[in-house]
Amino acid sequence: MSGDLAADVASTATNDLANDDIGEETRLALFRSQFEIRQVEQKAYDLFLRNLIKGTSHLALGQEAVGAGFGVAMRADDYSFCTYRGHHHTLARGASMTGVLGELMGRDCGLLRGKGGSMHLTSAEHGVMGSYAIIGAHLPIAAGAAWSAQYRGTDQVSVCFFGDGTTNIGAFHEALNLASVWKLPVVFVCENNLYMEYTPIGDVTAVEHPAADRAGGYGLDPIIVDGNDPDAVYRTAQAAIARARAGDGPSLIECKTYRHSGHSRADPGAYRPKEEVEAWLKRDPVPMYRRRLSDFGIADAVLSTIQDEVNKAVEAALQTAMTSPPSATDLLEINVWADGGASWRN
Amino acid sequence: MAELTYREAVAAGIAQEMARDDRVVFLGEDVAAAGGVFKATVGLLDQFGPLRVRDTPISEQAILGAAMGAAMTGLRPIAEIMFSDFLAVCWDMVANQIAKSRYMTNGQLECPLVIRTANGGGSRFGAQHSQSVENWAMAVPGIKVVAPSNAADVKGLLAAAVRDPDPVLFFEHKLLYPTKGEVPDGEHVDELGTARVLRRGDDVTILALAAMVPRALSAAERLKDEDGVSATVVDVRSLVPLDTQTILAEVSRTGRAVTVEENPRLCGWGAEIASLIADELFYDLDGPVVRITTPHIPLPSADHLEDLAMPSIDRIVATIRARVD
Amino acid sequence: MDIVMPQLGETVAEGTLTVWHKKLGDWVEANELLFEVSTDKVDTEIPAPASGTLVEVLVDEGVTVDVGTRLAVIQADGEEWIAPSGRTEAAPPLSAPASRAVARDQSAPPPPLSPVVGRLLAEHGLAAADIAGTGAGRRIKRKDVHAHIAGLTNTPVEHGVSPFGDCSVIPFNMVRKRTADHMVRSKATSPHVLQAVEVDFHRIAEIRRSHGTVWKGREGFALTYLPFIAFAVCRALGYFPHVNASIEGESLIVWKSVHLGIAVDLDFTGLVAPVIRSAQEKSVAGLARDIADLAARARAKNLSPDDFAGGTYTISNSGVFGTLITAPIINQPQVAILSTDGIRKRPVVVEADDGETIIARPVGVIAQSFDHRAIDGAYSAAFLNRIREIIEESDWDQSLD
Repeated sequence: MSGDLAADVASTATNDLANDDIGEETRLALFRSQFEIRQVEQKAYDLFLRNLIKGTSHLALGQEAVGAGFGVAMRADDYSFCTYRGHHHTLARGASMTGVLGELMGRDCGLLRGKGGSMHLTSAEHGVMGSYAIIGAHLPIAAGAAWSAQYRGTDQVSVCFFGDGTTNIGAFHEALNLASVWKLPVVFVCENNLYMEYTPIGDVTAVEHPAADRAGGYGLDPIIVDGNDPDAVYRTAQAAIARARAGDGPSLIECKTYRHSGHSRADPGAYRPKEEVEAWLKRDPVPMYRRRLSDFGIADAVLSTIQDEVNKAVEAALQTAMTSPPSATDLLEINVWADGGASWRN
Repeated sequence: MAELTYREAVAAGIAQEMARDDRVVFLGEDVAAAGGVFKATVGLLDQFGPLRVRDTPISEQAILGAAMGAAMTGLRPIAEIMFSDFLAVCWDMVANQIAKSRYMTNGQLECPLVIRTANGGGSRFGAQHSQSVENWAMAVPGIKVVAPSNAADVKGLLAAAVRDPDPVLFFEHKLLYPTKGEVPDGEHVDELGTARVLRRGDDVTILALAAMVPRALSAAERLKDEDGVSATVVDVRSLVPLDTQTILAEVSRTGRAVTVEENPRLCGWGAEIASLIADELFYDLDGPVVRITTPHIPLPSADHLEDLAMPSIDRIVATIRARVD
Repeated sequence: MDIVMPQLGETVAEGTLTVWHKKLGDWVEANELLFEVSTDKVDTEIPAPASGTLVEVLVDEGVTVDVGTRLAVIQADGEEWIAPSGRTEAAPPLSAPASRAVARDQSAPPPPLSPVVGRLLAEHGLAAADIAGTGAGRRIKRKDVHAHIAGLTNTPVEHGVSPFGDCSVIPFNMVRKRTADHMVRSKATSPHVLQAVEVDFHRIAEIRRSHGTVWKGREGFALTYLPFIAFAVCRALGYFPHVNASIEGESLIVWKSVHLGIAVDLDFTGLVAPVIRSAQEKSVAGLARDIADLAARARAKNLSPDDFAGGTYTISNSGVFGTLITAPIINQPQVAILSTDGIRKRPVVVEADDGETIIARPVGVIAQSFDHRAIDGAYSAAFLNRIREIIEESDWDQSLD
């Protein structure tokens, strides 16, 4: 494991796969994960256009590498927390695609049976401990899960994903401070896609690197990684998770990435300069990774097979979700309380 | 039976539960080494050690967030928010996160935690440290809300709250901390969602909560002596779940209901109960439901002004005298 | 012109309008019967004070209102009647000789029915007029309805289980209620002392024997002992005026005239005491006629407010039922009351020139309850003794004409 965790943005040079710390199996897993995320998000986008998804949704198209990189690095019993832009983090931990698509469409087969929606995807059996729609709220919660693991002595790790805008809210600072003081096994991962929502993050942040430049305030090392390079993300993730598991405390990682679509369904993203969008689209992580794996000598047939399998699975999931009935109405007044009910009186 | 102060009963309740269940942990500001700013948690650090009893920074959102994360992953945390007014600082955690996680995830996530806080006025701490905000909590679906009036109930209801698999907001009252009461020896566990009838009468039913309960009892005594009016006094104890059966039965017996609420007038807890009575007991009412509350103002600091604002025994007696014939 | 609730007795502060004999829009002649009123004393018919059209009826049958409350409006010919705006104001109550009327601060109709009362009335087929309200402003409370129901059904309601098992619960009617209140208040006000004398009525008995038939034929009613006793009482009061008085604060108000109340039982449904004004001026015959007239009118419910006004002393004639002695309750605001009990033949020791003999004589007890604040036992005893002397020694032959 590389001891130097401070790295700047760099294009990844061709690596020698045989001597590589990551290995083919992991890389294929990284590829599969990204591709699956891409395909599901693409389907979600299509469903918008057909008005089968109501309300709003925040897609992670373009940010697959961060999801895959950490998803593969985590242990099955680790905890992850993400924001309302969390489909990729949910899928990357192995949650059901049918469940994700069904939830978006308010179907009974949804992960939450239609009770939570796009912004609250959860799959506790996979360690996905909620997607959170209030900026910053889940950082202290993730710290709490880490505290629980530390208290119970299980060496589980808590990984918390959030955007660049989160670094300016109070809960971010409270969580980082507490995690550092208590040396909690939590990895804070900032997906810096350069835009707070519609506003360039640079316009509203006192420092250049919204997450990394705050690390020092909490006694942590600044870590910046190319968020579109799954290998770089994976390595960084591994190192931070191992540090946490070893009891050495939290990390704060800033992943530079970019979203392909607007902030949400309602947003065409017209506030981003055309040249910027085009430059980032050239660095689309999914095709970029396929090319790299080819360069490493992995057969096209292998990669195509993976893609075919994923496509089939995604298609099947979509069909299942589309034919699933809407959420049963008797779900309305259940599961407010542990006893399954919702009663406030006798 | 032992005589404990209300504040001693807090520590006793926490200790009882922490001794029973290793998953119970306790965090808050100045709660461990200092034993709490109200000295309600003295001795716990010594008894259970620094891994289970933790002092936090001044970070209300982190305190409740950490409690939630721990509760979601197998622990049974008790978190202290020093003054209930500070719930406003971390209200996102209470109302948006803790209250809603089980419902939004259709049961995948749970929050078996207790938030204890010091509520209420009368201590001359000024508007931002004297509020009674249990009615705020009552208004958010997904949290249980309890406010004990005496030492025995503190211990018993705190134990019940810790054992409850749902999130519970436990409102202690600053004025009541020094009050003494008989507390049963040994393990004492009460039941959430239950009210207590403390006194039975025929002419009017007084519903009260927390620090207003002793005032209601004193008022009932005076009304008996001075006016021959006999009053039932119900200690509501639990706002969510609400013991509507007891409340409605006691109001139906007398045909008259009066609430004594420390909340400012609008949307105090009694408003909901008055609405319930109007809906379900309309044809049993021998007169209007009367609410005795603090006026709709922030609480002033000067002692005589604060006393004027909060329902006093005199005001309770005078109001019942004037409105119940 | 306004028709208001009259004051029917100086301690009466309200009345219940029981029956309207005219309805809205009717023409009313002066002195024509307009409505009937019930109070604790009596039921009375009230005539219209003037002719005109009944243009407003403000109080319904069965409603109890304070004295002075506007009940109706008669518009006389040529009179401008302007519809009132807003609530009716009560006229001030009529003055009474002893201002001992209970003060009332509102003359508004009783408050509306509460939901539980409305429900109970509906469930039991009752009307609000059936129920006496004991709440603020005479509000009908839940327990008032319960009490009424308990009376009707002979079944106790809720917690009112009789410890004595089977019983019949009869709630007080208005007269009973007001009588009860008056009696309790009287005993609470006056420290009562009872004194009695035995009286030999043989001289009066003789007159009755000799003149009775003629009297009855002429007057249409029997000559009883009562007018003779009343005459003796009036004479005796002349010598002991402090018995003919009232207490006001810490003063004794000694009345100059004797307005003599005669208690009349209304066939066991209630007790009333109409007054013979200036009885001290009347002869036995005059008293007899007045007594008969009052009794007849009382039974016919034909007494007017004036018939009750200003009594200064009362005689309660329980003797018709043959009682030995009665300790009557003072008719406030008077300071004493007399009871005449049964007169029967008894063996009496009589002084004769040749010693004592025992002969049969009609003897009866006359007893007085007096208010010990006003007079003492010696004074009262002397008064009673004077009555006895007058009865036993007068030449009654001359008293009838």
